[in-house]
Amino acid sequence: MTKTRILNPTRFPPPKSLRSGGGGGGGGHASFMEQLLLHCATAIDSNDAALSHQILWVLNNIAPQDGDSSTKRLTSAFVRALLSRAVTKSPTLFSTVFQPPATELHRFSVVELAGFVDLTPWHRFGYIAANAAILTAVEGYSTVHIVDLSLTHCMQIPTLIDAMASKLNKPPLLKLTVVSSSTFPPFINVSYEELGSKLVNFATTRNIEMEFSIIPSTHSDGFSSLLQQLRIYPFSFNEALVVNCHMMLRYIPDETLTPSSSSLSLRNIFLKQLRSLNPTIVTLIEEDADLTSEDLVSRLRSAFNYFWIPFDTTDTFVSEKRRWYEAEISWKIENVVAKEGAERVERTETKRRWIERMREAEFGGVRVKEEAVADLKAMLEEHGVGWGMKKDDDDESLVLTWKGHSVVFATVWVPV
Amino acid sequence: MPVDLDNSSTVSGDASVSSTGNQNHPPKSVGKKKRNLPGMPDPDAEVIALSPKTLMATNRFVCEICNKGFQRDQNLQLHRRGHNLPWKLRQRSSKEVRKKVYVCPVAGCVHHDPLRALGDLTGIKKHFCRKHGEKKWKCEKCSKKYAVQSDWKAHSKICGTKEYRCDCGTLFSRRDSFITHRAFCDALAEESAKNHTQSKKLYPEAVTRKNHPEPDQKSPAAVDSPPPPPSPPSVALAPAPAISADTEPAKTVSSSVLPIRDTSESPENNPPEVIIEEAPRTIGFNVSSSALSNDHSRNNGAYAGMFASSTASPSLYASSTPSPSLFAPSSSIEPISLCLSTNPSLFGTTIQETPHFLTPLPPQPAMSATALLQKAAQMGSTGSGGSLLRGLGIVSTTSSSMELSNHDAASLAPPGLGLGLPCSSGGSGSGLKELMMGNSSVFGPKQTTLDFLGLGRAVGNGGNSGGGLSALLTSIGGGGGIDVFGSGEFSGKDIGRTS
Repeated sequence: MTKTRILNPTRFPPPKSLRSGGGGGGGGHASFMEQLLLHCATAIDSNDAALSHQILWVLNNIAPQDGDSSTKRLTSAFVRALLSRAVTKSPTLFSTVFQPPATELHRFSVVELAGFVDLTPWHRFGYIAANAAILTAVEGYSTVHIVDLSLTHCMQIPTLIDAMASKLNKPPLLKLTVVSSSTFPPFINVSYEELGSKLVNFATTRNIEMEFSIIPSTHSDGFSSLLQQLRIYPFSFNEALVVNCHMMLRYIPDETLTPSSSSLSLRNIFLKQLRSLNPTIVTLIEEDADLTSEDLVSRLRSAFNYFWIPFDTTDTFVSEKRRWYEAEISWKIENVVAKEGAERVERTETKRRWIERMREAEFGGVRVKEEAVADLKAMLEEHGVGWGMKKDDDDESLVLTWKGHSVVFATVWVPV
Repeated sequence: MPVDLDNSSTVSGDASVSSTGNQNHPPKSVGKKKRNLPGMPDPDAEVIALSPKTLMATNRFVCEICNKGFQRDQNLQLHRRGHNLPWKLRQRSSKEVRKKVYVCPVAGCVHHDPLRALGDLTGIKKHFCRKHGEKKWKCEKCSKKYAVQSDWKAHSKICGTKEYRCDCGTLFSRRDSFITHRAFCDALAEESAKNHTQSKKLYPEAVTRKNHPEPDQKSPAAVDSPPPPPSPPSVALAPAPAISADTEPAKTVSSSVLPIRDTSESPENNPPEVIIEEAPRTIGFNVSSSALSNDHSRNNGAYAGMFASSTASPSLYASSTPSPSLFAPSSSIEPISLCLSTNPSLFGTTIQETPHFLTPLPPQPAMSATALLQKAAQMGSTGSGGSLLRGLGIVSTTSSSMELSNHDAASLAPPGLGLGLPCSSGGSGSGLKELMMGNSSVFGPKQTTLDFLGLGRAVGNGGNSGGGLSALLTSIGGGGGIDVFGSGEFSGKDIGRTS
């Protein structure tokens, strides 16, 4: 009897290797972890408390939050997200499962955030590409109005001011408009008023005259009040309108959140209205992933196959910053996995989809200058091995890559 | 070129004042210099407080030949030797062996306190210049200014070699990182406050044009983002609610579906009735293990019977408060026989049916949850998963028992039959079972990870009603819930103990 029971492990279908290099120990288990997570998601959504308990339990033991590999910590983030979903979905079944305390997200001082954005090229990549494009586009204008729709609280602006001061023949009057909705990480511990005053002060040291405005507006209605105000905004003579969209448009509700009665999603409405403002240039920097599916399992799979990247890129870092960083990604993971409807704000779409939308809205892609490409390469070289960049000639986009996987894309658009 | 700093606050007028340094130092601090606290000199040292003028008077002792100045006569005398001039060093008397320490003349400075005095004159001088002096040494390349010449020299050597240093002391290897930091660093605000005229010239202009709540750098910095004024700043437009009406429905779409729950809220206990309703269903899943396949296998009956028999045992295991000895090495084997003897036909049947169930698993995820869980247990036992089974009582039998259980899953598991078996087959599934149970004896030391699922308490109590999971289920809903896992995981032992 015992003989027949000896396991031949090869009888199990080996998990398909979804990617090479999961980064450090436990990396090879990534797809195995992914499959368990997918089973768990299915179990939770079919109210199978027993199975989901078991899987969560096992995963939690294999992959502790402070695990020694990025895959373990990534898995742990998903486990917590699933747990949160389970408790929300079936409080009766999961009530006794201890709800891990909501991850306390760090509130950055503005100086901390300035350092934090350079932890990896994740954000700087977009800054450099967008700033180069903006600088080229505004040459010759006497006033430049920049609408900064950015997740990272104006961190892109100092280098833009600096470049305007040193590279433009006659630095223009700079008007910076931001929206005051800060509901997504990273969070900062200062007001936008204070942030703005620092920027104005900095511009002054660079001999650039600058105005700073805050417009209360929210992603949830497609920044309608912002658009409204831009429409009746009094243009100065020879004024360029620049709209810098840095990882912010993903929060505008897409089709899956649009009532079937309306023909256009808020996302498309936003782009169409933006187009009607006839901006000088629009930059669109986004993460290249599809997290909008209404089906939990495919959303989870797609999230797992994207969010391993931030965990992997910082795996070798041993610092408080990595914890902040991972907590932030975990917040996103929880949002994608545990939330539904309007609460699910992390609605990243692929580059291909964004390009479709931009073209539909009658924008045309513009190539980023070679000079900027060289700057980007130089910047990437200063970061760890694994970062790379590719140019896509079909759509004029630049894509930041990690170990060959697309991470963030940068595109530049003008009305056509 | 001495700088006249007499205007800055001075401690002791012009003259040097010395006093004994016997200031109630705790004896410990003697000879134990802490790195992050410069100062803390020898308590017996003589504390010297020089006025800024004296401190900065570098050339008090001047060589008549070359005009080189020295702060100390001793050094001048040594210098004079080089010119073949008569020189004379003071004799050291035993009195003068006493160490001298120096304090900063600026009241309020940390080094103004004799407790934080610096051990040598050069040190306090550099400190005084850096912190309180004028930055008169300017780098030609980057315009950075230094108060101490040696700092400037050190900087000049590396300037342009990819290094950027903010006045706050932070170093950057990239210019854009530096610029970003610089824009927000208080050091810039301080600097531009000095260059008052320049900033004030441009700044108010921008402000007045905007009719904006003055974003002055001295403005309420600490006040946390008040909601922006109703009339938005620069363009002074009234907020337009026009479009927002459209979006109302979008918001409501979701919330109706989900019971909204504050996730930070502590979980509440539910009325048992709810769980009892759910219980049969959950048992079903326990047996069939996967939601992917609801068609229960043929031998379900056999298991059902087994579960049925063990469902009778809540009281049994409730009373059999698990003593650690349950999980002593021997026990992992014991249940096997017990379990087999309890229900011998069970395994007979399953073995016969083995071939049937080697069929591929359902489409979606490549492996069934069961198989994956089995593998998870394996990972645990082989160690890469980290210490899961370390310290288990099944040391010697680990591998074989794991294989057994894996085999159970492989051979018995139709798409759908699963965890119930390895668990209920007692010792054979011990690895996985204990993995999931988080039994106190096994996981005692690993409580931190377990705590995550909220069982830490149950585990810690130990005497509650068994392993963590059963405690969990007990608290879920009294009787009904227990059956689910109680049968699966405890039957072997419970029966074993009572028979």
